[in-house]
Amino acid sequence: MLSTQLKNQLIEIVGDQGVLDQPEQLACYAYDAFIEEALPDVVVFPKSTADVSQILKAASKAGVPVTGRGAGTSVCGAPVPVRQGIVMGFSKMDKIIEVNTRDRYVVVQPGVVNADIQRALAPFGFFYPPDPGSMNTSTIGGNIALNAGGPRCLKYGVTVDYVLGLEVVLASGEIIRFGSKNVKDVTGYKLSSLFCGSEGTLGIITEAILKVMPKPEAVRTLMVTFGDLDSTAKAVTDIIGSGIIPAAMELMDQMTLNAIEDAAGLGLDRKAAGSLLIEIDGVAEACDKQLKQIVEKVNENGAIKIEEAATDIERERLWTARRSAYGVFAKIAPDILSEDVTVPVSQVPEMIRTINDIGERYDLTIGVLAHAGDGNMHPMIAADRSDKAQWEKVERAFTEIFQAAVRLGGTLSGEHGIGLAKSAFIPLVMNRETVSFMKKIKQAVDPGQILNPGKFV
Amino acid sequence: MKQGLQNCGKCGLCLSACPVYGILKEEQVSPRAKLQLIKSHDNKSLESTQGLKEIVSRCLMCGSCAAACPAGIDHYSKFMEMRKQMVADHGESPAIKSMIYLLGREYRLKFGTGLAKTGQKMIPDALARSFKLGNIPIKNFPTLNPKPFRTQQEVIVPAAGDPVGSVIYFTGCATNYLYEDAGKATIGVLQHMGYQVIIPEKQCCCSVPMLFHGAQDQAMSNIRANIEALDPGDVEAIIVDCSTCGEALENEYPKLMEQGDDHAAATQIASKVTHIFSFVNDHMDLLTFDTAGDNPSTVTYHAPCHTRNNSQGHLAVESILKQLPNTDYRPSPDRDQCCGGGGTFFYEHPQVAGEMMAQKLTSVRNMEVDYWVTDCPVCRLNLAGNLEPQDTMQVVHPITFLYNALKA
Ligand SMILES: Cc1cc2nc3c(=O)[nH]c(=O)nc-3n(C[C@H](O)[C@H](O)[C@H](O)COP(=O)(O)OP(=O)(O)OC[C@H]3O[C@@H](n4cnc5c(N)ncnc54)[C@H](O)[C@@H]3O)c2cc1C
Ligand code: SF4
Ligand code: SF4
Repeated sequence: MLSTQLKNQLIEIVGDQGVLDQPEQLACYAYDAFIEEALPDVVVFPKSTADVSQILKAASKAGVPVTGRGAGTSVCGAPVPVRQGIVMGFSKMDKIIEVNTRDRYVVVQPGVVNADIQRALAPFGFFYPPDPGSMNTSTIGGNIALNAGGPRCLKYGVTVDYVLGLEVVLASGEIIRFGSKNVKDVTGYKLSSLFCGSEGTLGIITEAILKVMPKPEAVRTLMVTFGDLDSTAKAVTDIIGSGIIPAAMELMDQMTLNAIEDAAGLGLDRKAAGSLLIEIDGVAEACDKQLKQIVEKVNENGAIKIEEAATDIERERLWTARRSAYGVFAKIAPDILSEDVTVPVSQVPEMIRTINDIGERYDLTIGVLAHAGDGNMHPMIAADRSDKAQWEKVERAFTEIFQAAVRLGGTLSGEHGIGLAKSAFIPLVMNRETVSFMKKIKQAVDPGQILNPGKFV
Repeated sequence: MKQGLQNCGKCGLCLSACPVYGILKEEQVSPRAKLQLIKSHDNKSLESTQGLKEIVSRCLMCGSCAAACPAGIDHYSKFMEMRKQMVADHGESPAIKSMIYLLGREYRLKFGTGLAKTGQKMIPDALARSFKLGNIPIKNFPTLNPKPFRTQQEVIVPAAGDPVGSVIYFTGCATNYLYEDAGKATIGVLQHMGYQVIIPEKQCCCSVPMLFHGAQDQAMSNIRANIEALDPGDVEAIIVDCSTCGEALENEYPKLMEQGDDHAAATQIASKVTHIFSFVNDHMDLLTFDTAGDNPSTVTYHAPCHTRNNSQGHLAVESILKQLPNTDYRPSPDRDQCCGGGGTFFYEHPQVAGEMMAQKLTSVRNMEVDYWVTDCPVCRLNLAGNLEPQDTMQVVHPITFLYNALKA
């Protein structure tokens, strides 16, 4: 329970409209898209960096935990306040402060929704490359704190590659600023890397300078289907292996494809055991050439059908369907667990075979979907948590999937983050010294352990 | 199949579709949160409070969340059940109560002996009074039809020229009491197409206002009366000019009658319900237009949420507007943005509704059009009600616009 004194302080800082403490309000900040839930004691909506600083000062003094929250679309439990305390909501700090395409950057508040940046840039012929499937809802603060990726990160890189500078408030309430509006900047440590993926455990992001890119002249989108999943995966390895880097290359197995088709009715081939959604972009002539090479490679791997999106609307429909995959899966069973182990792209076929083996062995429904071009797998298990026996199998299956990924030279998470879901598995990929190094950093900047406690550090 | 609460994966995709979340930006008003709250309330981990009722009421019942939800959750029914529970626990505001009472009694008042005459006068006045609030200035409230529309019509209106078939017309309350021009145009267009139009005398309010306000029991007598009145026989379609009525007849009636002996009748009615523009779009060959004149009217369209989310009728409206002679159709960048009307939402939450409206007004003013058409009476009331004296565009139902374009 929060002291009345602290609550009054919060009200003083943000006004009583900005503080929620009724049970029916708190219940709405207990979750993200993962399965664990925990109620906060209070929710505050700061309006400025100064508000954030004052709130953190007060919380530090009282030793009360503070967990940042963007849109709550994390799939690993990162914004779930497992140690209660304050949830600091950023959905209302949502201003785009500056759009400067001449110098190729934007300055935004943390609550700006990813898609709103895209909309603000479109008239100038620019875009912001990181495109998580949640882009219509998720915020830049959340994207940075989880170092989000997305389909086109295959060619363009992930969030960390686009953060030029940040304003961050530390647990003490001190405000720090690093980086600049320059694409090149090697002044001191590259601190933005430290905060990308920090999951709100090191500081609260209050402003970001992001690098933006001119839109490519041409975009081509292909939907390719295959008779079996193995050749689908091999086509991915072959394409990337031959030096072609598409903007995106998404792999879907039969179950996923059917789930999407049920929901979106796009006329996808339900019988295809595997399919690839491939997008290339760039100069028109170069696209033509790449397209030819890709068609060659998929044909060598026994592609059954190759279709190209004829219009922008068709292309958008394919991507909307792809972005719905997670939600569509939720239909199959009450609970859905989605992981994102990542392996070197040459190991994609082996990893998919392993996931399917594990699914069969435990008799579980596992759908496979992947940002395949960069080896980022999204195995999704649909199950029922109230069925204890089944849930135990789910947990064992995931443990084996993590182990397999590590064995193949991969890692636990490509983009979703660690949160509550995977902290127990960190020793699989980091030795004790490395974990201790992370703890030292945490201890140095947040000695009172008030920022998002109970997570991976 | 529509899915239950437990199938919400909390993915958050519905947040971007929800107009109320878009303005307030607080999770608790989001569709995802409302489902969570309903779940917690159902499993008794959350008490029923006035605050809970308040959150549940901050909703336009626009259906945009369900349309965006990849898990196929039926938000509409869940919200309706919850609203009923909340009203049972905490009561309803006097203005809303009187509206429900009046609409619920509409049928009985009109046809009950002795009360008939006073009933007809009473309903519109009191209805108007309960709506003359919210974010709409009183002076902008539309004047009522001098006489309820249906009382001015024959029950069977013959086709003009050779008859090609017959249809039933379900007028809805708005056309009956407020917007008779839409009724006249609907009948006119159908006649022109060669349809005989049957306007069953005993039809009454579709009940949606009551269902949205948790008054299911009151709604039931209206629903039964409508099911009886609308017996389709061999008519080609049951035409609606309002998508909200359409949605109720098509989806809610069969669901509510699931257990009752009226289920078969409700299903039969549901299969014939058609938005007037979808109907016209399928029969464009039956229309002849007045092609004279060289001063095209400029027009833009506001697509009501219920039209977009239930019948896709908005695509028909837009496609027809694009084809009309002497018409300069200007697609609006925020055609699909909710105007904040939402049944009684504009009355209950004027500030939020006002913000939604402000965005729409700016863009329509920039478009410089003569007409701003919309096929939902609440949207129409809301759009027109928020115009300033210097705004010259007229807000009408697109069917009126279409009717005026026909060759006499
Ligand atoms: C359907 C769906 C598809 C998805 N697709 C992808 C995908 O393709 N790629 C991908 O990478 N992820 C994906 N995700 C996961 C998720 O959307 C992303 O991780 C996203 O970046 C989370 O943003 P958010 O605003 O929802 O943050 P939240 O979930 O609210 O928070 C995430 C973390 O950020 C912290 N945080 C939030 N704001 C701040 C701040 N201002 N300062 C400090 N810390 C803060 C929180 O404490 C928490 O630890 C998907 C999720 C869903 C549901
Ligand atoms: S879109 Fe559907 S599944 Fe996703 S959070 Fe909303 S209601 Fe739940
Ligand atoms: S019905 Fe409309 S207003 Fe209500 S929660 Fe759904 S999207 Fe939001």
